[in-house]
Amino acid sequence: MRHYEVMVILDPSLDERTVAPSLDTYLNVVRQDGGTVDNVDIWGKRRLAYEINKQSEGIYAVVDLTATPATVKELDRQLTLNESVMRTKVLRPEK
Amino acid sequence: MAAKPAVRKPKKKSNPLKAAKITYIDYKDTTLLRKFISDRGKIRARRVTGVSVQEQRKIATAIKNAREMALLPYTSTGR
Repeated sequence: MRHYEVMVILDPSLDERTVAPSLDTYLNVVRQDGGTVDNVDIWGKRRLAYEINKQSEGIYAVVDLTATPATVKELDRQLTLNESVMRTKVLRPEK
Repeated sequence: MAAKPAVRKPKKKSNPLKAAKITYIDYKDTTLLRKFISDRGKIRARRVTGVSVQEQRKIATAIKNAREMALLPYTSTGR
């Protein structure tokens, strides 16, 4: 089990209130595989430094979790399949 | 006689990270990272920033991670 940090940029046309529950359904993958979701931080709408998919804004969310490498890979795969997810990043923070 | 070699003592830069007591460089902390990029978005050299080799490397990777997530620009042509 390792500690991971997953950042996602979501489509700005989404309703910000629906972001948390829909993100949570994806995180169920982690919980089912015995991992834990430590923290979910939704930054809200933020200007992008450059355009992604012709959008100049995005909804940022950062998730801290502990899981096995395979689980995180699956989570990342499922996130990228969703069209409202513009970008994802999985990082392993030091310490 | 040979001319005296011009010895220029470079002024020791004060380490800005030590001053701010930062131990972990986070790619999400754009206000910190913005201090280490030029106004065109390029990563500043170590002789300009005055941080250690190890810190400079961590800053560079953090900036590159931040760029991927559109937190920092790859280039910004003037303003």
